[in-house]
Amino acid sequence: MIYIDENLCKGCHLCVFMCYKNVYAISSKPNKKGVLLPYVKFEERCTNCGVCEVVCPDQAITVNVNKNWWVGEDTNFNPKFSTGKKE
Amino acid sequence: MEQESPNKFLPYMRKDRLPHIFCTGCGNGTIISAFLKGMQKAEMDFENIAMVSGIGCSSRIPGYMECDSLHTTHGRALSFATGLKVSNPDLDVVVFSGDGDAASIGGNHLIHAARKNIDLTVICINNNIYGMTGGQISPTSPKGSIGTTAPYGTDDYPFKLAELVAAAGATYSARWTTVQIDNLVGSIKKALKNPGFSFVEVASQCPTYFGRKNKLRTPTAMAVTMKMNTVFKSEADRMREKDLEGKIIVGEFADKQRPDYTDNIQKLSEAKSGGKTLRYSAYMDDI
Repeated sequence: MIYIDENLCKGCHLCVFMCYKNVYAISSKPNKKGVLLPYVKFEERCTNCGVCEVVCPDQAITVNVNKNWWVGEDTNFNPKFSTGKKE
Repeated sequence: MEQESPNKFLPYMRKDRLPHIFCTGCGNGTIISAFLKGMQKAEMDFENIAMVSGIGCSSRIPGYMECDSLHTTHGRALSFATGLKVSNPDLDVVVFSGDGDAASIGGNHLIHAARKNIDLTVICINNNIYGMTGGQISPTSPKGSIGTTAPYGTDDYPFKLAELVAAAGATYSARWTTVQIDNLVGSIKKALKNPGFSFVEVASQCPTYFGRKNKLRTPTAMAVTMKMNTVFKSEADRMREKDLEGKIIVGEFADKQRPDYTDNIQKLSEAKSGGKTLRYSAYMDDI
């Protein structure tokens, strides 16, 4: 699945431009903030390259597609690399 | 839905401060994600990283990250970072800096930090304009671009920061744009691992001020223009200077090894007083 966080997205549509496979499309109705949100139209095209995740300036997109296992080895990484905790 | 699959970069950020104040389509958010991905690929310890920044739009980035951060005076981020690095050489110090911060008011700090080869990672976000103060022309604005202080277009020639820092003696220097994600992430990974002064210049988009004055109003228009004007370094070596006007040359400009400033200090200290610098410090009891 590809998730788009509606609270974080500001509607810059860089994901629509940067996706090499044209997975995204722009919705016609604005949401309550007045933002034309992008939505996932062709999920079967996604190759899990991770460009839209990085290019999203608001950290709103999460790609979790179990295709292309050789690319997707980073999908469940540990966010805290250190062994000891601070507290 | 959010608990099912949280974003990969949100665990590193202060969630109570989100969404951040950057404009719609600003490149700073992209560079946050690219830095976090590069750090993850370099397998750095996030709790051992200290972020230093000066004044500007891009210098608000450390405020959104969940690590030790230092927000300092205008242009003096590299000076503060030098003190941090020399007093605690085990720390990984990352400096986020804008083009006004690094090139104009802190220009001497930048070239002298590169000359001394202090072990810092500098990420310079170059948006070609002073975005926070209302769109004035900056030292890296391309020739002919329009700003608040240049309503008929500027006649001056811009700084080429990556080449400047490479000529000043940095061990790693590269320039990429925000539309070349894989290269940028790989370059940040290399810069974090490199011992010595490493500099990554990221050409970024500013749709609110640079774009509105120069008829590129949407973020997508700026990204398309940036992608069209990009020339790789190997290709640019074979082109004439006349054709390169207004183009962004991307690539790695320096990648070498040289003795490091903090190592030199420790070696001198060991030769003269028989120990590391910290052992004979007057503040040892406090530490």
